[in-house]
Parts: sequence; C-alpha cells; structure tokens
Amino acid sequence: MSGGYRQQPGGSGQTTRKDGKRVAGKQSFPPPGSGGSRPHMSPRDLDFIPESVGGKEEQPAGSHIHDRARTGTTVGKEIPLVDSNAKVTGQAWYGDDVRLPNEIIGKILRSPHHYARIKSIDTSRVEALPGVLAVATGEDSPHRFGVLPVTKDEHAMAVEKVRHVGDLVACVAAVDEATALEALNLFDIEWEVLEPVFDPKKGLEDSDEPIHWRGKYHLSKTNVQKRVFQEFGDRSLVDKPHAESHGKWSMAGVHHGFTEPHAVVAHWGPNGRLQLYTPQQVPHYTHRALSTVLDVPMHQINVIRTFVGGGFGGKSDPFPHEMCAAILARKAGRPVRITFDREEVYWINRGRHPSHIEVKMTADEEARISGFDIDALIDGGGFASFGHVTSYYNGVLATAPYELGSFHYTGARVWTNKPASGAMRGHGAVNTRCAVEVGLDEMAETMQVDPIDLRLANLLPPHSRTISGFRITSNGMREALEKVREGSNWDEKFRQLPLGKGIGIGCGFFISGSGLPIHWDPNRFPHATVHIQVDMDGGVTVHTGAADIGQGSTTAVAQVVSEVLALPIEMVHVRSHESDTSPVDLGSYSSRVTFMNANAAIRAALEIREQLLNAAWDILGYHPDNLVLNDRRIYYKHDPAIGVSYLKALHKAQEDKGSLIASGAYRSPPMGGVHKGAAAGLAPAYSFSAYVAEVDVDVETGMIRCTDVWAAHDCGKALNPMAVKGQIIGSCHMGLGQVLSEKMVYGRTGHLQNANLLDYKIPSVHEMPHVEPIIIESCDPEGPFGAKEAGEGPLLPILPAVVNAVYDAIGIRLRDLPLTPDVVFKGIEKTLKDSKIDDPLDLPSPRLTHSSLQPTLVARAQEHKLRDKARQRTEDTSPYVNGVLFGFDPTIPLEDQVEGWRTATEPDPEQLAELGLAGRAWLKKEQREMGGEN
Amino acid sequence: MLMPPFVLHNPTTVEEACSIAGSLMEKGEDFDWVAGGTDLLPNYKWHLNPKPHVISLARIEGVNTLSLHEIGCMARLADLTVENGIHPLIVEAASKVASSLIRRNATLGGNLCLDTRCFWYNQGEDWRRSIDWCHKADCGTGADCRVIPNQNTLCVATYQGDIAPTLMVLDADVHLIGPSGLRTMPLQEFYQLDGMKKNVLEKGEFLLKITISEASAARTGSYQKLRVRDTWDFPEAGVAASWISGDATSLKIATTALESIPRCHPDEVAAVLETDWDGMNSVKALAAAVRKSVKPVNNTSLPPRYRKSMVRVLTKRAVEKMLE
Ligand SMILES: Cc1cc2nc3c(=O)[nH]c(=O)nc-3n(C[C@H](O)[C@H](O)[C@H](O)COP(=O)(O)OP(=O)(O)OC[C@H]3O[C@@H](n4cnc5c(N)ncnc54)[C@H](O)[C@@H]3O)c2cc1C
Ligand code: SF4
Repeated sequence: MSGGYRQQPGGSGQTTRKDGKRVAGKQSFPPPGSGGSRPHMSPRDLDFIPESVGGKEEQPAGSHIHDRARTGTTVGKEIPLVDSNAKVTGQAWYGDDVRLPNEIIGKILRSPHHYARIKSIDTSRVEALPGVLAVATGEDSPHRFGVLPVTKDEHAMAVEKVRHVGDLVACVAAVDEATALEALNLFDIEWEVLEPVFDPKKGLEDSDEPIHWRGKYHLSKTNVQKRVFQEFGDRSLVDKPHAESHGKWSMAGVHHGFTEPHAVVAHWGPNGRLQLYTPQQVPHYTHRALSTVLDVPMHQINVIRTFVGGGFGGKSDPFPHEMCAAILARKAGRPVRITFDREEVYWINRGRHPSHIEVKMTADEEARISGFDIDALIDGGGFASFGHVTSYYNGVLATAPYELGSFHYTGARVWTNKPASGAMRGHGAVNTRCAVEVGLDEMAETMQVDPIDLRLANLLPPHSRTISGFRITSNGMREALEKVREGSNWDEKFRQLPLGKGIGIGCGFFISGSGLPIHWDPNRFPHATVHIQVDMDGGVTVHTGAADIGQGSTTAVAQVVSEVLALPIEMVHVRSHESDTSPVDLGSYSSRVTFMNANAAIRAALEIREQLLNAAWDILGYHPDNLVLNDRRIYYKHDPAIGVSYLKALHKAQEDKGSLIASGAYRSPPMGGVHKGAAAGLAPAYSFSAYVAEVDVDVETGMIRCTDVWAAHDCGKALNPMAVKGQIIGSCHMGLGQVLSEKMVYGRTGHLQNANLLDYKIPSVHEMPHVEPIIIESCDPEGPFGAKEAGEGPLLPILPAVVNAVYDAIGIRLRDLPLTPDVVFKGIEKTLKDSKIDDPLDLPSPRLTHSSLQPTLVARAQEHKLRDKARQRTEDTSPYVNGVLFGFDPTIPLEDQVEGWRTATEPDPEQLAELGLAGRAWLKKEQREMGGEN
Repeated sequence: MLMPPFVLHNPTTVEEACSIAGSLMEKGEDFDWVAGGTDLLPNYKWHLNPKPHVISLARIEGVNTLSLHEIGCMARLADLTVENGIHPLIVEAASKVASSLIRRNATLGGNLCLDTRCFWYNQGEDWRRSIDWCHKADCGTGADCRVIPNQNTLCVATYQGDIAPTLMVLDADVHLIGPSGLRTMPLQEFYQLDGMKKNVLEKGEFLLKITISEASAARTGSYQKLRVRDTWDFPEAGVAASWISGDATSLKIATTALESIPRCHPDEVAAVLETDWDGMNSVKALAAAVRKSVKPVNNTSLPPRYRKSMVRVLTKRAVEKMLE
C-alpha cells in the first residue's frame, strides 16, 4: 500500500460495534461513496504539473492560463478512451443495435433515374399489401431542410423532382424487412425523365432545367450553387516572377468509408413526443430539422445519439431518412427502424467534392511567395449540404502557413445529378492544400533550393494575421518541419535516392473550431455549454451535447474535469447521448469539440472546484490559495497531513444546497475582417502539420507503395497523446486512400460504379506505411490547457507528401488523384515517349544542385526562427501581419501603405475575361440583376 | 441486405448429392451448388440470379483430399496456402486469393467454378434497376449487355479466379460427376467462352476433384497477380507460367482475369520457341506476344488498356524466374 492519506469515508467505528452489532439507538448509514477505487491518496505527479506552477513538466512554449488548474491527474497522460471497454466488448450500441418493443422496418424507395420529374405516384398497391403499416411520399413532407440555414434545399422525400440515382422517392414501413422490400416493387410512378448534368464544367452553363432554383439569387439559368471571389494583397508583385508553378488538377470524389452504415429508429412516445435514435455527428442540427419538417416544436423531440461507428463528416447533415423514419413512425403508431445497405450509404454520400483545381504561384528573386492564384470548381452533386462553406474553404484555408504577397481565389460549386458532396475530414482544405504544396515543391525545383528551406523561410510567425485576416495565435509549423526533416533523415535522401524510391514533404493548416456558430450570433449565445453535477456519492456527472464519433470527445471532457477536480477518471461520468439532458452543442465538425467543449468543461469544473475549496477552508481554516487539490484530498500546501478528504469537503459544500451544480460555456473572442465571407475559415486557433513520406514506385506497373511517414502535428497540447497519435495515424490512412486508391467512379452513363467496399478501394493494413507520429506542442493561449485540434488537420499533408515523393522517385508530376497504377503508368508511358526512352528502368531520377538562393533561404529561416521563438513565448508582443516579409509596416493598415492593396470579394469588370474555370461563374448575372423573379 | 429464401440440402455422400440434383431436375426446380459460399452468398444477397434450392457440398465425406497429385473440390484455400505437400505454384496462387478470413471458407471447387464478374452486374438490385438490368441478370426484361451493347447473346463478364491458370500450366485434369456419371478432362477444356455458361458443367454435375500427373508435378513455376491492394482484391490480371528446370521448350503460360475464361497460351509460346531461345530477349518477345493475344473489356476496377499493358510485365516477371 502506498501509505498515503486514506481517502475512503466510513470506518470511523461510531455506529457499529466490533462484533458487528448495531449500537443501540443508532441507525447505521453506509458511507455514501467510496471516492474511487484506491483507498489512499496518490502523491502529486509532478511530471504532469507545469513548471510555471512548481511542477516538472517543461514548457518550451511558455506558460498557460490553465496551468493553475492542473493537478497532474490525467492531462498529458496516455489513457485509453473512456468508451473503449464498451467498444471492445461489443456493448457499445450503434444505430442498428437499438431495438424497441413492437418496432417495424422501414425501407426507402430510391430513384432509378438521374434526373426526372415525378408526374404521379400511386401507392394503392403498396397499401394493399398485407403487412404494410405505413407509406409516405414527398407530399407528407413539404418543408425544406438542410444543414446550413442559408441553403435549405432538401426534402425528406422528393417533392416534384428526383436529382440523382438513389435519391429518396417514397418510403414504406412493414412488419418485417421482406414485406417492406416487396412493397417497394408496388409503387406505380409516372416519370418524366429530364436531361441530367454530370460534368461540373457543364454545370457552369445555362440549362433548360437547373437542378435547383434559387429564385432571384439564381445565377442566370446555370447550376451554380455558390460562387466566391477573393483577392487580397498587392497583385503587382506577381508581375515579373522569378519562379512560378502552374498546375491543373483533377481530383476524384472520395467517401468517408466509415464502418457503420446509417441507421435510425424513430418512436413517438405515449405523450406524443418523438424519440429519435441516430448515429449523428450533429444531433442538434437533426433536432432542428426534425422540428421544421415534422412541424413539431423542438421541445417535443428528444434526439438520442447512439454510439457513432465513424463519421468523418459523413454523418454531419440532418438526413432525409431520419425524417422518413419519424414520418413513418407517426403514421404507423409504432417504432420504425431504417438501416442502410452500403450502396445507400454511397447514395447519401456527403463525401469530398470531385474537384478541378488550378493553382498558379509565383516567387520573387528572394524566394518570397509573391502570389497564390487558385481556382476551384467543385462538384456538389444534387444538394447543397455544407457546400456554401466548402466553396470558401477551398480558397481561404490556403492563406497560411505561408506569408503571401498576394492572394487570388475564384471558386464555384455546381449542382450535378450525382449523390451530394459535403463535408469530409479536412473539409474543403485537402484538395487545394495538395495542389499548393506540390506547387511549392515545383517552385523550389526551378529555384534549385530545398523545398523544406523554402517553406521555413516563408512562414508566418506565431501571433500574426494572415492575408485574409485570420488571427493566428500559437504556431508550431516551424518545429513540425524541423522535426520531420530530422526524423526522416531528409538531407541524406532528398533527390539522392535511386529510381523508384522517393521522399516528399507536405504541410497542413486547419481550423480548430469554426468561429461562427452557424445558427446564431456568437455574441448572443456561446459556442458550447457543459453542465457538471456532483452528488453525495462523489461521482461527477458531466452533461454535454458533444457527439463522440470515435474521436474521443467524451474522453477529452472526462479528462479535463478529472484534471481540474483531481479525481480519478472513473469518477467522472459523461452523459452526452440525449438532447433532453444535454445542453445544446453544435456537434462534431470543423474540429471544434475539444477546443470549445473542453474549454466549457474546464470553466464548469473550476466553479465546482471553488465550492470544494471554500468548504475545505471552512473545515481547515486555510484560505484556498494555500490549499492543494490532489487525488481526492484537499490539504494545506505546506503540510499534507493537515487536510480533508474530497468527500468530506464535498459533503460540507452540500450542506446548504444539496448536490453541486455548475455550468460552463465557451465563446470565441471577436476576430477577423469585415469583408464578405470573412467569417469563413475564421477560427479561434489553427493547427499546423508537416509530413515527410517515403515511397517505392514500381516503374513498370505504376504501383506506388508508401513505406514510411514522419508525421508531425501541432495540436497545441496533447491532452491525451495516445488519442492524438491515433488521430495522426488514422488521418494518414484516410489521406493515403485519397491519394492512392480511393475514388467514387462515375461511369459513362453517370452511374456510381463502385458503391461497395470491394470496389471502393480503402487501403488495407497491407498498404499502411510505418507512421511515426510526432506531437508538437505550441501551447495555444486560448485552448483548453493549450490544446488545439488533432482530428482533421493531420490528414492534409499526407497527400502532397506522397505526390512530391512520387516525383522524387520517378521525376514525373502527376495531378490526377488518386494516383492509381493506371494513372501513374500513363504518366510514365508519356514521359518515355516524350524523352524517347524505351525501358522505364532507364528513366532519369531528379537531382538537385543548390543555387545561390539556398544559403539566402537558410539564413532567413534562421533569423525567423529567433523571431518566432520570441513571439511564441510572448517576449515579443509587437503586431505582425502578413506583409511584413515584403517590407510593410504592421502598425499601419496595408491599404494606406500600398497603392493597389486589395481586399476584394467581387471581380473588377476588367478582370472578368481572365478568370479561371470556376471564375467563369462570375460571367453570369444573378436573376435579380436581370429582373428575375423568385 | 436480405438474402432471398431458399431450401438448403445437405447431402453427405456424392451419390446423395447427385440424386438430390437428379430429383430436383425431374421436378423442374432450379438449384445451385454451394461450397464455401464466399462467392455464391454475396451474389445471393445482391439478388443475382438466386435459385429456390441450394445443394451444399460441405458435408460430403472424402471430397477434401489434399496431396501433390489430387485435390478435392472441398479442400479449403486456407489449407492450400501452407506447405501441405501441395505443389508450390498452387500454394503461391492460393495465398494470393482474397483475404485470410475468406480463405478459411473458400474452396478449390468454388474457386474454379467462380462466377464471372462485371461492374454492371455485381451490384445491388436498386442499382441494377437504375441501368435497366443487363443480359446476365435481366430480371425478365431481356436486357442487353452493357459492356458490348447491341448483341444480347453474349456476356463478357470476367473470370477473376486466381488458381485456375496455375493448374492449367500444371496440366491438371478435372473430374466432374453428376447423375449421368463421372467424366474427366484437362482443365484447359473445362472453361467455355461465355460469362453466363462459364464452363462445361451440365446441370446436375459438379466438380469432384482435380488431379496432377507425376511429370507435371515436377514442374516449377510462378504466378503473378495484378491488384491494387494486397488483400481482398480480385485479380485485375494474372499470369501463371511453369517449366521443367533447364528446359525452356517445356514452358507453359496461362492467363486469368482478362477475359471470360482463364486460358493457356500455347501458340504464343510455340511462336517464340520456333527461333532459338535467347534468354531475356525471348522472354520479352513472349511477354509482348501474350499481351497482344488477350482482350480485356471495361468491366473491372482498372481500365482494360492498362490491364492489357500489364500482361507484358506480368508475363516477363513470371518467366524471368526461369532464367534464374
Ligand atoms: C471480398 C472477396 C474477395 C475475393 N477475392 C478473390 C481473389 O482475389 N481471387 C479469387 O480467385 N477469388 C476471390 N474471391 C472469390 C471467392 O472467395 C473465391 O474464389 C473462393 O475460392 C470461392 O470458393 P467458395 O467455396 O467460397 O465458392 P462458393 O461461393 O461456394 O461457390 C462459387 C461458385 O462455384 C459453384 N461451385 C462451388 N463448388 C463447386 C463444385 N465443386 N462444382 C461445381 N460448382 C461449384 C457455386 O455454385 C458457385 O456458383 C473473393 C471473394 C470475396 C467475397
Ligand atoms: S458483360 Fe454484359 S451481360 Fe455480362 S454481366 Fe456485364 S453487362 Fe451484363
């Protein structure tokens, strides 16, 4: 036994005699709580208490406002996720595990046409089938919904038109699956088949029958759902470039490939309230949409988030099948369950947009990046989903981590007759990031400099502002680059490996929570709220709406509460499944949960802590400033023997009010510019990452094998290093899929040809490289204990790292993703032909001889390193805005210093002729300009 | 996904299996054989030509023999992937089939009698409805082939089994049994050019075993498989070669996953052997000739042009080993 102070209550011998008999007249109350599984207090774990508050945990990036709340209990320690036992023992209840008494089975009738008008639906034969208990069609659900309030373009089932093969037409509930399936064959539908659009380029043109109609905001008669123009900085800098890169990319759509297909159970309770069980990333959005579609106030709906078998953005829309289940259950008066086949999962899609991306970039004679010019045409499929945001993200998330002379972006998202694209891990940032990072590699090649040094000499420092006005706080980009360079032995390998072997670099930058809470003004409601309740037994119940989708948000919340209160994590119970009991949380997307929710949880926990310390003050007579909170005991700083157990303090605190209750909220500080779209990409903090990948390319077959990855990610502070490493490795896997083998294949007839997990090729364990996760801790000033996101950003760098490594291996730039062997082979064949080589084994390997720019870059990077260090540790708090590298004064608005410094969100008329592919959307006029009607 | 209902028969002897088949045929009731079910059952779940009766070969005694010279139809692929005294070329091919999990159920008979595959066909029912079906699973509509249209007589779905080409270059014989008795033929003659008919099996007949002669068992060989992922994926092209050590003229080559049937390439080999064997040059000539002779179509994951190009590389890599 550790011999510490006993923390178990009871055992005082007051109410029982030695022989076990009761003392006359005294009732024996058993102790109300055990206070954890270990009876004795463990000593303080100084290794996990920051230096700034007397511990031994080093803080190279400086101290943090939450340091005083650290108790060395769980933060920074590798602990298994709190729900892992449930998962490994098969007790986690996913969507399809829910079984309610009397439930019946719902099935959805799906469109066999790409695009068609429904002239009539006759359901009489369906209704006549014995065993059918409810039938519903679009007529039962006239209200529109959608994840973004600005683009509600979905119905529970098609109203008037179907927009892709697999679109929902009607649904039926029957006593069993076989009957429901049989019933699907009995709908009599009269169709008027319309001319479909598959090619997003065609979507830019006028059509007879646009897929949706936006009324007076519709662009001419095109299928453009959203267009974006953004131009910042001094465009004259790009005029006489010293080096440039220009690449046109075509990137296939990819799907999240989560394990659990969508499933939902809807049940109207005896009081007419709806209970809806669904594996959702955004239960609150579903809650809102259900209310609209069903015409029922939100308080009459309880959304129960089941365990989520993976989401990655694919379960972050309110879905039509959720509405269908509720409609059928209401009609049938019995619970209805709908579970998808894999094919249906692909049809509801919301995967990454198929994209045509063009990136031009230039550098000046000092190898400063004078301009990024990005054009992104993204294929939205049949519905808007998150597309409004995606259209911005494809541009604006490229405005860091590098300092830019100017930035120009045109983006357009078009509707096509395919399953809808949406948000997927790394939302909107992944494809452009890949194009940009490969462009940098190419510019480094022309300037004959090392691509890592090129990056190191052009980074924005900590506490700065991007050209688009984003506020950068902590920034571990430099350290990440240095670590992967060292770990991979880059300097001995780059441009020196034999043919077929290559090494490449790629970086990433991602939001840690979106600054705008979509549904409300951040000044009116906070982003996240967490309630904590502590009752007599000492257990701590945390109520949060944060949706754990496997990323570990429940664990993160449990950890921070256990840390602040110095309680073993098994004493903290997180309740997050039901909207009835959870405070509103927007959901698990845009990597917001740890940052916002854990911050709210810390606030609530600090309030509880205060109450406990005040109670201990009452008992011990020492002011809380002199008290230490450690493992179920509060004691006098200078003598642990003078103290009180946690339970005693708790019971004291409860004397007047019963159980302790506290609520904490997180709200982001005001930030960002005022231009149109300024809120897109705005986040309270950003993550940074750098990966080096090594590949083997079989030059005869075009097969690529990624063998090793050094993956450095700046997550601010790893609350749980094991979880962070898991996210890094998982992100590598997912990104590798997109770059090497995954694609949604649309065949010559426009059908999705591979709506199954055999033909949609997610890398298997055999394709996984050795991944070396490297955690960078830049200690974000506003993050919970310094933490930022680690769930999405780590995906970004793997794509360009692999593409660049392939170039290093075979000297060929490939810009069609994924790099399936046939694509690579085609590239090799073409090169052989162009350079008149017969045998691919004779291909030359690229080599590098440094130019005189190289030492300049190395020197500048060295200088910047000192600059960054001072800024990171707040030794230097002077303002820094993008532009300082180009000689501008950060204290004077750039517009006042530079003639022609632009902040434009619409093209000038003279620019119209030069815009890229997506930019062409700006040639079209809005209906209201044409006097069009709604 | 709901499996359509069927009656499962579980004979325990070859005779009983034949008699069940015979009596179903008499009654005019359709049926399928099932062995490991790793191909048939996924197809049934997708409602691809399911039958009202299924006769399982799993409980029949004595049809899982395993030796250098004879392998029974119910021999599990998992047992073919370890050194069980089986020819190493078969071990090599079997180890590359599907995944270790699937190989625990999969059998040799099922592998040889594998249904042909096509991305217009291996899809769920809703999906196939959206293309208005196809010739191979026309659901009573008389639909055309979607790969080569305007010819609703032939199906060009691809045979994507891995083991057949290796058995072909080992000159294996197949033994078929049915209500009308036993017959034996070289495996090379077993397959029939049509993605629906697939092979010579008559209704009621099943593949009992394969045998390999003493002389053939002495051959060495190599099997090269083209696939995107090293597990799961069906071959996108496969080339098997075998030879008698030190004797280039003994070379045999067979390909799979390129057409509706796996097949040997005796003519291409003979043409190259006509001139004197010239090491690597002959290998390259042979590789080019085999490539030229195959005609893949667009119905698997990778484009046919690429698959065809790869036949050259695979052939080269398979035969190269002979020079070692
Ligand atoms: C995900 C996945 C990946 C796969 N990858 C591969 C691969 O890489 N390479 C490969 O070759 N195969 C692959 N397969 C297909 C299949 O698993 C194997 O070919 C396996 O060997 C089939 O054997 P089985 O016993 O399971 O066949 P079953 O499914 O039982 O039967 C297959 C067919 O053969 C018929 N049949 C079975 N036995 C006999 C017999 N003795 N006589 C007559 N007809 C018979 C059945 O009626 C049926 O039509 C894959 C399958 C899946 C699901
Ligand atoms: S080849 Fe033609 S007939 Fe055969 S399965 Fe494919 S589309 Fe159908």
